[in-house]
Amino acid sequence: MLAGNMTKSIVRRTIGKLALTMFVAATALAAPAQAEDITMWSWRQEDKAAYAKLIAAFRKHHPDINVKFEAFEAANYNTVLSTALAGGTGPDVVQVRAYGTLGVGKPDYLVPLDKTMVPEFANFPDSAIAAETMRADGKLYAVPLASQTMLIIYNKELFEKAGVTPPNTWDELVTVSKTLKEKGINPFGNGTATAWQNETIVGALLSSQIGAQFEQDVLAGKADFTDARFVGALTRLNEIKDYFAPNFSGVDYAASQQLFAAGRAAMFAGGSFEIANFLRQNPKLKLGLFPSPVAKAGDPKLVALYYDGGYAINAASKKREAALKFLRFIGTPEFGTAFSNDLQNISPIKGVNFENPLLKEVATLNQSAMSYIMLVNFRYQEPTGSVLLQSGVQKMLAGKATPAEVGAEITKGIATYYAPFKK
Amino acid sequence: MTSHAATADPLFPRSSAGSLIAAALLIGNSVLMLYPIVIMVFSAFKTTAEIFDAPFALPDFTYVENFARIWGETSLPGYFVNSVVITGTSILLTLMLGTMGAYGLARYSFPGNSAIFMFFLAGLMLPLKLAVIPLFLQMRDFGLLDTRLGLILIYTAMGLPSTIFIMTGFLRTLPVELEEAARIDGASEPRIMLSIMLPLSIPPMVIAAIQNAVPTWNDFFFPLVFIQTDARKTLPQGLSVFMGEYTTDWGMLFAGLTIAALPLTLVYILMSRQFIRGMTAGAVK
Amino acid sequence: MQTDYRNRERRRRAAWIAFLILPPLAIMLTFVVWPLLSALSAAFYRWEGMAQGEFVGLKNFADVLFGDHFAALTWRAFRHNLFVFFALFVVQNSVGFLLAWFIYREPFGFRFHRIAIFMPVILSTVLVGFLWKLFLDPNFGLVNQLLEMIGLGQLRQPWLGQETTALPALVLANAWHWVGFPALVYLAGMQRIPREILEAAKLDGCNGWQMLTRVVWPLVTPSTTITLTLLFIGAFNWFELPYIMAGLDGSPYGSTDVLGLYFYRTAFGNQTAGLQDFGHGNALAVLMFLFIAAVATVITQYLRKREIAL
Repeated sequence: MLAGNMTKSIVRRTIGKLALTMFVAATALAAPAQAEDITMWSWRQEDKAAYAKLIAAFRKHHPDINVKFEAFEAANYNTVLSTALAGGTGPDVVQVRAYGTLGVGKPDYLVPLDKTMVPEFANFPDSAIAAETMRADGKLYAVPLASQTMLIIYNKELFEKAGVTPPNTWDELVTVSKTLKEKGINPFGNGTATAWQNETIVGALLSSQIGAQFEQDVLAGKADFTDARFVGALTRLNEIKDYFAPNFSGVDYAASQQLFAAGRAAMFAGGSFEIANFLRQNPKLKLGLFPSPVAKAGDPKLVALYYDGGYAINAASKKREAALKFLRFIGTPEFGTAFSNDLQNISPIKGVNFENPLLKEVATLNQSAMSYIMLVNFRYQEPTGSVLLQSGVQKMLAGKATPAEVGAEITKGIATYYAPFKK
Repeated sequence: MTSHAATADPLFPRSSAGSLIAAALLIGNSVLMLYPIVIMVFSAFKTTAEIFDAPFALPDFTYVENFARIWGETSLPGYFVNSVVITGTSILLTLMLGTMGAYGLARYSFPGNSAIFMFFLAGLMLPLKLAVIPLFLQMRDFGLLDTRLGLILIYTAMGLPSTIFIMTGFLRTLPVELEEAARIDGASEPRIMLSIMLPLSIPPMVIAAIQNAVPTWNDFFFPLVFIQTDARKTLPQGLSVFMGEYTTDWGMLFAGLTIAALPLTLVYILMSRQFIRGMTAGAVK
Repeated sequence: MQTDYRNRERRRRAAWIAFLILPPLAIMLTFVVWPLLSALSAAFYRWEGMAQGEFVGLKNFADVLFGDHFAALTWRAFRHNLFVFFALFVVQNSVGFLLAWFIYREPFGFRFHRIAIFMPVILSTVLVGFLWKLFLDPNFGLVNQLLEMIGLGQLRQPWLGQETTALPALVLANAWHWVGFPALVYLAGMQRIPREILEAAKLDGCNGWQMLTRVVWPLVTPSTTITLTLLFIGAFNWFELPYIMAGLDGSPYGSTDVLGLYFYRTAFGNQTAGLQDFGHGNALAVLMFLFIAAVATVITQYLRKREIAL
């Protein structure tokens, strides 16, 4: 009986909602300048509180627009979003991924943007703009949100305890790891059980050895992944795997984070997004950063960089004007600064003022970067470079494949759709 | 479920070697079955760090921070209510529609009867998950996206085949004489159904209800795709909120899982016989 | 007059039957049959993510069965499903059968054990998956700590991180979750065996094991039919447990990749590596469905013939 009443009340509420919608529609026709509600979707459930502040800041400029923030589990966001978009529904403002199809499938679902619509695009570096351009039609669809950097995060106290300093060269990294291990400290918290961690490990540890020139050669069709620079770097990775978490092949992402956050490991090869995670889990941690060690002293030290999504307008939105106002706000240094400082993320917007010295350091390191190669360049068709690299490196670190085999396997997979690799 | 333990000459005396071995192996198995559940409850009273450090240690049961945070910071209580409403309503609808269909199929012969019965039976095997996108488009056309009613209808549809299977099987066993007598007395067909046949059908209804309630309560996939507004999420889906993008707060998660598992587990302990019959219905003649 | 009355009665009866049958039929057609048929038709189109493109006939099917990189993954996943089916037959159904026999003998405490064995069955897969993931953690997990405690420390492994142990570990977790189901189905089957048959066997000098293998097993074939069919369907629809314990990629390097994961990954995309491709995903779904339906029918027909009517 109870449940019966509840059905009734759901039905009643639905009818009520319908009436309300009609009322709103009628008043909107009568007075178009009325306050508007727009919704935004994100995969950052943990950012809900911070967005409430950001939205409040936006409303100081536009008191007539209400923004409703809704977030979904990251792993399923794409499913939820694309089903909604394919169904002609969804929010007004959409958090989209970067590169390729921006995670939405095809251009028709979003409103194309340009510098006249969003003058704030001038605040972004070219690489950020390129990241939110859809491969299918070369048009720009989203205001970039954050950049992520692959580097090595270390625990300053553990380094001090072991009497080591951040290494510059690969050989120094091996020595530092050895010293740490001898003193009973796990050198790296990293594990490889979660597939995508293998890609971040490569980006964080090997970028300086792979080199920006290699990336340019691959894109120019002059080199593939059997290249000595790439295979050589993977070979070096094998030298250091014994310094990863104990039983690293069975240590998943959450467990490896926990190792580092609990102060049980001295280093973590990962993304700049981990800084906030670690400090949230353990606010007492004293963190330091260094880029991928170089093969020999004097080589350029690189981090691997990518853009982590942006905000776009749903083509099905009936409130494009309001949504556009919100997007323009997202492109301002005001938003970038608040976003960076509240969420401990790196906004790519020029003129952002970082309060957190670590983020400032990341922003400095970003000035000498190559791209996070597979995500940025080879994630637009199956088998993606990421899929191939992740499983290849996972297999290699388990001792079931040689670096040369991994390089060949990646090249072969990408060759199915990337013309320069077809021979 | 006849018990022959009390008979004078037991087939398998409890003191026999075979029975002692059986008892020992069963004890071992029950430890294996229950210990993990105990650990889950223990973990709910620990911090994430404690779970990783000493996963099997006895917790300090006065540490209820995880539960307090779930109560205070999260929408879990709301998810709980949603799960109760959605599971409860869909089970009621399934029982109502399923019993109607089963009654029609079991008590009347008409052309197409067995074809319709086979059609419902085929539904037992159809994996609706594989058709989630077309289903999504359809729900949009009905205006049922992001509504609890939408989920209720999906679960009702998914529960109908087994309910019809169970109820038809039972209703066919009721003697024709029952309704003949009532018919001679001038009772209408609906009356015969409502006041004579259905009161006899409560036990199989309980079986059918349990068979559908457990998977519906535990379902994670359909709410995930169809429900977007936080206030309408179900419990398993809501639990996924704890699994943030980059971190997993295991203490909270286990507390949430404990809360999610609690109602069914308690009801199971109280009504284990009906649960076992309900969940194995269809597999057991 | 008489015929008029009869006609009216007949119409009333027809209307009453229609009133009973049509609502559930309509719900089924709307929410199950129609979407499934749409999914079938979707497999014949090219898709850009979730957006339908042009008609491509059987191309998606050909791709996933024989195409460049799809086919290798499809067949690898298929082999893993086969392994899961046979492994579960041993550790879930056969163990379930034995446990049912132990309970059937009604030793001390059998009522408690009957309740305990079924307890995990009511838990959600999400919960079971996380629980066992914690237990199998290489550094802090129960399994390795237990091995250490009983002096088998050298057997400690990263269970979910190795090609050789990951899939077996998932199978064991699944068996833990579900073993109560075949056990109690078999128990019900055993309880239908007339007591006289067992008594006669005992008088003939059968020991417990002989009675189990020569008398009980043939007589519970109907239970085997049903548990085996359900196991087959479950093994080839396997998704949630590997999804939670091994991830969408079937880590490590695809050694736990099964058709359910592969279908989901292809259709919906993997946020950390892959893309959405609804056309090929749907083709996989349709093939899976046809295969499961066909084999389940064959198993049922074959075993039905061997059933002994009691």
